[in-house]
Amino acid sequence: MNDRRLKFAVAALALIGAGVAGYLTYTRFAHTLIICATGGCETVQNSRYAELLGIPVALLGLASYTFVLGTAFFDNMLARAAGAATALAGVIFGLYLLIVQLVVIDAVCQWCLASDLVLDALAVACLLRLRVGIRVQAAANP
Amino acid sequence: MTRRAYLAVAGVAALIAAGLIGASLVSAKADSKPASPHSSTEAASILAGIPQHGNVLGRQNAPVTLVEFADLQCPYCATWSNTAFPQIVRDYVRPGKVRIVFAGVAFLGPDSERGLRFAFAAGNQGKLWDTTHMLYAQQGAENSGWLSDNVLRELGTTIPGLDAERALRESSTVDRQLAEARGLADRAGVRGTPSFAAGPTNGKLVPVAVSSLDANALRPTLDSYLAG
Repeated sequence: MNDRRLKFAVAALALIGAGVAGYLTYTRFAHTLIICATGGCETVQNSRYAELLGIPVALLGLASYTFVLGTAFFDNMLARAAGAATALAGVIFGLYLLIVQLVVIDAVCQWCLASDLVLDALAVACLLRLRVGIRVQAAANP
Repeated sequence: MTRRAYLAVAGVAALIAAGLIGASLVSAKADSKPASPHSSTEAASILAGIPQHGNVLGRQNAPVTLVEFADLQCPYCATWSNTAFPQIVRDYVRPGKVRIVFAGVAFLGPDSERGLRFAFAAGNQGKLWDTTHMLYAQQGAENSGWLSDNVLRELGTTIPGLDAERALRESSTVDRQLAEARGLADRAGVRGTPSFAAGPTNGKLVPVAVSSLDANALRPTLDSYLAG
């Protein structure tokens, strides 16, 4: 996949993720019900793991997706590395939250699962973009 | 260069993730500490002199009925109970304008149902609202066993007029109240708590969409029913 397509993939995936996180952030602040097929979304959103030091996890997710989206508009190595590191951190944190849902809260939120899947794909796209950047740099500075 | 770059990215990602997980664990642990208990005198002063019949607070002939769908383990329900509820009681229930029906639901697990059964049993003694208000004030971590029989017994000693032993015995016989509350919640399409429905007493109850847990979020609806 060429760099342009990867940029597009990163931007598209980050936008989808921002949409999911944005929806959860909105329901949290508006106190509206979450559209939920698994039945566990309210339980997860009302749990003590839905906030991190007073900041809603959904809002952190929205900020992270927006940051990664921003990195897609830059071609330098720092942007590629920052995007990849953020997405990878998101994958690890998402895995932790999934374990919390299954083991501690005993309820699963479909939107969190959707975000996890988007994050996985986003991390792969960001890492591929980083690889392209490294190769280009290596070719320019043999 | 390649390996170093990947290692650096992985290292930064691991550091960020470790920070987030650590903060989450600290945050969750802090939240699991019981809220500072409200004094029973505070609950008593909010509810003093207001009639309680089962799960209904207020005059039976109040022109407007407000139904509160709540889970005793839900933090938002506790927030509503501790902040908005006293104002709604002061401005609408005490003057006889509105009566509130507690439609308890057990969305969050076994502790929710244990507390709910005890609250409905306390309702047989006219003490449901004192009980729910005090339980919210002492709310612990979800399904951590915070709603044990001992806690409920102890609660009984702080609510004048409540025979906790009797409520504990009767808590296994309140299936009808539980089913009625569940039926109300199902008919109103409740999928999260707290949720509200309102309408003329003995008339059609309509779900109320609230934008916040502030008492002001409910006032326009209650005022419009009172005016109409």
